[in-house]
Amino acid sequence: MTIVLVLGFLLYSSWPLIQQQGIAFIIGDEWYPFESLYGMLPALVGTVWAVVLALLIALPCGVAAAIFCAELLPAHWRGSMRFSMELMAGVPSVVYGLLGMWVLLPLLESQLELLTGRTLLAAGLLLALMILPTIMVLSEDAIRAVRQSQREAAKNLGIGWDATLWRVLLPQAWPGIRVATLLATGRAMGETVAVMLVVGSIDRIPDPFYNFLQPAQTLTSRIGREMAEASIGSLHWAALLFCGLLLAAIAMGLSLLTQRKGAAA
Amino acid sequence: MFDRCNVGLWIGFLGAGFLLLGPLYAATTTIKIAGSTTLLPILSEAAKQYRVTHPDLSLTVSGGGSGMGVANIERGTIDIGMASRPLSEREAERLGASIDVIPVARDAVAIAVSKAVYKSGVTQLSLAQIAAIYRGEIRNWRELGGLDAKILVIDKEASRGTRHVFATVVLGSARARAPGATIITGSNNEEQSVISRSDQAIGMISNAWLNDRVRAIAVGEGDMAVLPTIENVALGRYMIKRDLNILVPKGSGDEVKGFVAFLRSEQGQAIVETVGFHSVR
Amino acid sequence: MLLLALPALLIPTMVLCYIFWQAVPVLNWGFLSGTADGVGFGVTEGIFSQLVGSLLLATMACLIAIPFALGTALYYRTFATPGQQRLMNAMFNMLQGIPPIVFGLCGLVVLVNLFAWGVSLLSGAVVLAVVVLPLLVLNTLVTLERIPNEYSEAGSALGLTKGAIILRLWLPRSWLQLLTGLLLAMARALSETAPIMFTATVFSGVVWPDSIFSPVTTLQTHIFYLAQEGNDPLLISIAWGSAAVLVLLVAFFGLLARLLQKLGGN
Repeated sequence: MTIVLVLGFLLYSSWPLIQQQGIAFIIGDEWYPFESLYGMLPALVGTVWAVVLALLIALPCGVAAAIFCAELLPAHWRGSMRFSMELMAGVPSVVYGLLGMWVLLPLLESQLELLTGRTLLAAGLLLALMILPTIMVLSEDAIRAVRQSQREAAKNLGIGWDATLWRVLLPQAWPGIRVATLLATGRAMGETVAVMLVVGSIDRIPDPFYNFLQPAQTLTSRIGREMAEASIGSLHWAALLFCGLLLAAIAMGLSLLTQRKGAAA
Repeated sequence: MFDRCNVGLWIGFLGAGFLLLGPLYAATTTIKIAGSTTLLPILSEAAKQYRVTHPDLSLTVSGGGSGMGVANIERGTIDIGMASRPLSEREAERLGASIDVIPVARDAVAIAVSKAVYKSGVTQLSLAQIAAIYRGEIRNWRELGGLDAKILVIDKEASRGTRHVFATVVLGSARARAPGATIITGSNNEEQSVISRSDQAIGMISNAWLNDRVRAIAVGEGDMAVLPTIENVALGRYMIKRDLNILVPKGSGDEVKGFVAFLRSEQGQAIVETVGFHSVR
Repeated sequence: MLLLALPALLIPTMVLCYIFWQAVPVLNWGFLSGTADGVGFGVTEGIFSQLVGSLLLATMACLIAIPFALGTALYYRTFATPGQQRLMNAMFNMLQGIPPIVFGLCGLVVLVNLFAWGVSLLSGAVVLAVVVLPLLVLNTLVTLERIPNEYSEAGSALGLTKGAIILRLWLPRSWLQLLTGLLLAMARALSETAPIMFTATVFSGVVWPDSIFSPVTTLQTHIFYLAQEGNDPLLISIAWGSAAVLVLLVAFFGLLARLLQKLGGN
C-alpha cells in the first residue's frame, strides 16, 4: 500500500524529466541543474564506490570477528560482546557523521597527505563502521546455527580447526552471511547524513574512475544537499525525486533478493 | 463483530493520540524566516532583540542558502526569505509581482585563503588569476608565488547567493561552471571551517566570516588591488559585492511588516554593523 | 584471522569511549536543562529544546504508527489469506529496506507542500511514523505468532468472538512484547536524521513548539549542523555533548526493551 503509493508518487513527480529528456540522462555524466543537465552517472558511481569500499572493509573484519566470537570466545564474554555490538548498531548515523568529520577527516588528511580528507575512502570507512555491527551480529547467528554435531564430526575425522572453519563452518553459514551482506548493502546505500558530511559532494566521476581518494557525490548526499533548494515543479526538483526513485528501486531489488536468499537459507 | 471491535481500537488509539496533542495546539503568531546563511547572523540577532519588545511573537530563523530562501517563499512555507543575491530573471518573472525584495545590508564577498597560504606570500590575486584557479588552469600555489602545494579549490552549492555573486564577477556569468573545484560546500560556516582546517585552500566567503585562519586577499592588478573592507565596498572600489536582501510577500501581516521595519530602523542597522556588514542607510 | 577480527572488536568500543571522553567536559545539568536564549550560531549552549523536540517527534511518530501497525498485524493474523500474507511480508520487508531519506523526500512534497502543513512537528512525525512502521508491524507479527493456536481455538470453542479473543486473550498475553517493539521503534525514531531534516526541524528559535504545526529543534539535526558548520572548539564540544546524550537516550530505550524482553520471554 504505502510502497505503491511512494513509488507511484516518485515516478509521477519525476515524470516531467523523463518526458523531456528521455531516459538517457541516467547514464549522462554531467549534473548541472543550471544547464538542465541531469546526468545520474556521477552520483551512481559514487554510491556504488562508497558501498563497495564499505563492504570490502567491513565484510572480512565483520565475519572474522563473528567467527572469533562464535567459536573462540568464552560464553560469558560472548554475551557482553554481542550486547555492545547491538548498542553500536543503534548509534544514530549523525553521530558517525560527527565522528567522520572531526576524527576521520583530519586523520586521513595527515596520514595520506591528501588535499582534502573528503573522499570516497572517508565515506567508505565510515559506512564500514556503521554496517560492521549488522554484519557481525547476523554472521555470528549464522555460524552458531551450524550444528554442534557437525563440528564434532569434523573433529573426530581429525580435521584441523582451520580446515573445519573453511570446509565446514563457512560453507554452511554462507547463506546467512550473504543475507547479512545484502542487508548491510542496503543500509550503506541509503545512509545520508554521515556520508553527506564527508564525501565532498562534487558531481564528478573520479578520475581515473578507480581513484577512491577523490571527492565525489552519492545519490543520498545529492538529495540531502539540494532538496531544500529546488523549486517545486521544476526539472531540478523532478531530477532529485528521480534520484529518490532510483534509491528506492535499488533498495527494493536488494530486499527482494534478500528475501529469496533468506528463504533459500 | 470483529469489525466493530477493530474500528473501536482504531478510534481509541487515534483519540488518545489527539488528546495528547490537543493541549499543544494553541495558536500564537509565528514568523518563520529561512534562507541565506550570510544573513543568518543579522536576522538571528535582530529576532533575539525584537522578541524582547514583542514577547507574544515567536520567530524562528534557519539557514539553508539563498536558493532555499527563494524556493520556500515561493512555496509559502515561510514568512520571510533571506537571499544574499538579487533574484534571477526567471525568479523575478515568477515572483516579481507578489514579492518585495528589500535590502537590509551590504556585503563584500572575500576571496579567502588559508593562513599558511597567506603567510607564504600569496596576498593578492587578479580576477584573471582567480578565474584560472576555478577553471582548473592553475592547480598549484607555486604558480602564484606561494609554496609548492596543490590548491584546494572550494566551490559552493550552485544555488548559493555567494556563489552567484562570485561567479558573476569572476567567471563572467552567474551560472558559470567551475571545473577546477575540488569540493563543494554549503554555508559560510561550513566553508570557513574547511578553509581554517586546511593549509592550502581558497574559497569565496562573506566578509563577516574572515578571521585569523581565514584571510582575505586583495583583488586586482598590481597597485590597484583592494581588500574587501567595508570602506572599499562603500566607495565602490571592491567589485565582488552584493546587497543582502529579505524577501517579503506583498500583503504580509502587520507582525511581519513590523519586523521588517525594525530591521531597517536605526537599531536594526546597528545590529547589521555589529555583526560585520555595511548598513544600507 | 585475529588480525582481521581485532579492529572489528576494538574499534566500536573505542568509538563509544571516544564520544563520551569528548563529551565529558560539557556534560552537566546546565547543558541538559539550558535553552537557547538567542537564535544564532554559537549562542546555543543548552540543549533542552533539542531534547524536547527529539522526544516529542519520536513519541508522536510512534503514537501515529501504533494503530496502523496493530491494525495491519491483526488483519494479517485473522483475515489475510496465505497469498496475501506472503505479499504483505514481502512488502514490509521492502518498506524496511527503503532509505529513510526517500520518505523524507516524499514527506517534503506531500505533507509539507501539498497538504501545506509546513515544516512542522506533524509532518516530521508522520514521516518518521512511516519509517518505523515496518519495524513495528514485523515485531507485532512475531509477537502474535508466538501465541499458541490452542489459545485462540480454546477461545472460539468457548464461544468468544474474534474481537473478544483479541482483546481478552491476545493483548493481555502479548502486551509486554508489544511494548518492547514500541521501545525499539522509539530508539529507531530517535536515531533518524535524514527524514526529518527537511520536514520538521529548524536550527534554533523554538523551545516548546506551540502547536503541531510549528517546527522543532532536534538533537539529531543539532549535531548535524554543528558538525557541518561548527568552526570553533566550543561548538564542536557541544556537538559531542549532544551526541553523547543522543546515544545514551537511544541506548536507554534499547536497554529498556531488552529488559522487558527478558521479563516477558521467560
